[in-house]
Amino acid sequence: MTDSQPEYVSVTLELDTSWRYASGDPMDQFLRRVAQRRIEALRCPDCGRRYLPPRPFCGRCRVPMDEWVPVADTGTVVAWTVVHLPIIDGRTGEPRPSPYGMALIQLDGADTTLNHYLDTADPELLTIGARVRAVWREHQRGAMDDIIHFEVLP
Amino acid sequence: MNPVAVVGTGQTNHAKARPDVSQPELIREAVDAALIDAELTSADIDAVVISNMELFEGRALPELWVAEGAYGAGKPVFKVATGGTSGTSSCIAGFHQAGSGSFDTVLVVGFEKHSEGHTQTGMALVDPFWDRAVASGALGNFALSISQYMAERGVTEEHAAQVAVKARRNAASNPHAHLKMPDLTVDDVLNSRMLAEPLHLLDMCPQSDGAAAIVVASGNNARKRGSKAAWVHAAATRHDQPYLGDLDRRLITTRALSSAAASAYAQAGIADPLRDFDVAEIYEPASYAELAWYEALGFCNDGEAGRLIGTGVTSMDGELPVNPSGGVLSTNPVGASGVIRVAEASAQLLDRAGDRQVAGAKTALSTGYGVYAWSDVIVLRSEMP
Repeated sequence: MTDSQPEYVSVTLELDTSWRYASGDPMDQFLRRVAQRRIEALRCPDCGRRYLPPRPFCGRCRVPMDEWVPVADTGTVVAWTVVHLPIIDGRTGEPRPSPYGMALIQLDGADTTLNHYLDTADPELLTIGARVRAVWREHQRGAMDDIIHFEVLP
Repeated sequence: MNPVAVVGTGQTNHAKARPDVSQPELIREAVDAALIDAELTSADIDAVVISNMELFEGRALPELWVAEGAYGAGKPVFKVATGGTSGTSSCIAGFHQAGSGSFDTVLVVGFEKHSEGHTQTGMALVDPFWDRAVASGALGNFALSISQYMAERGVTEEHAAQVAVKARRNAASNPHAHLKMPDLTVDDVLNSRMLAEPLHLLDMCPQSDGAAAIVVASGNNARKRGSKAAWVHAAATRHDQPYLGDLDRRLITTRALSSAAASAYAQAGIADPLRDFDVAEIYEPASYAELAWYEALGFCNDGEAGRLIGTGVTSMDGELPVNPSGGVLSTNPVGASGVIRVAEASAQLLDRAGDRQVAGAKTALSTGYGVYAWSDVIVLRSEMP
């Protein structure tokens, strides 16, 4: 690119549109329980892996899953970060306020990990292996953001 | 599969923005360069494979719009989509097409014009029920996985910064590269803006406008060309489960990449990757990823990646130069980035890599990385299989 090149016509387009997605049966059951502050995972009959998010088949063993098992709203941090960039929120298209904490959390009773917000009120407590508990919103609507974030247990 | 080879490569000049060309015009630049390099004309192309992430530009059916730029009208044309791996997967699709005997000469072209759209919004459109509320793009995924990787494998922020410095300094010898920073230092990386702990701005790839193309020829066609061909000795691709939380300690287990590498190395007879490869072009969207890939690709034992970068083993004058082009850390038009890996590795074997040439390179590795769920591994040699 040099300064002598012409500037071509360009066009700016803005859309305001919406999408509607179906959950499927396992996710529907899961979210209805989340609305009651309960978490359950689907367990693979072959490998025993307890899956969140729940889905109708184990991708590793390639078999159907239909056994629900209880999972606690407490767990262990297996990975964490503090995001400083105002990342676009995929629900709204707007940038999120930053900084904010994120963690991969191994909930007690699940074998996969949950990607969720981590309370960063006390940075000293942020570490792999930290024990955490879900902080629920006052009113539940059956969505993962019914959990505000996970707070580190002292 | 019959033997196949890369017989020509072409790239645009990659940049933060290319407002001087439309998308089909951008593609045409890379395609024409590849045809000239291969000493062929558009009439010699039997089929076209395209790689692009249309969600980033917000343009439906990019393969329809841009294929004319790749001389596609009247020929078989399709697009391959496997996230960041799309470019290497497109190359592998081209290898399969030429190797099947159905086509003699296949053109593979990848492109992205990040400047025209919303990459971050595209990356944000993940599972609407499970993690849409919290997902933080490739940056968030990497930052999380890196915290585990650092804890288990003992790499430091300084090791990662050394990778970032190596990439941008190498890029200074690559006329196509987007970020050319010959004077970059480790301190510059460590002092750059914090994006997501521990990732600084200069630990991450840029978003680039650019296109890259390769010409793939079947064995008979390639043989006719005499000695100048980069022969495909192995090409393996792997997919993994869909959620970040499915992949236990993902930068440590690197399930998809390790599996693809094991398969490709067995096909190509690679016993000691550090010794057997003369050059590698690997897909490292973040500095730490390159360290994790060293271990997954068998360049060193687990836990030794920091030593490898620290002792210069992977620098231009080291035992195995990794990313002489400057890699994804210096140039990242996503749909093209995988094609660039194969084009750069091929150019090394064709002895056409200019100031970034690794003298006498005979065996080269290319890899692709997509989201966290795809990995491609390709082994190329100057000798026919």
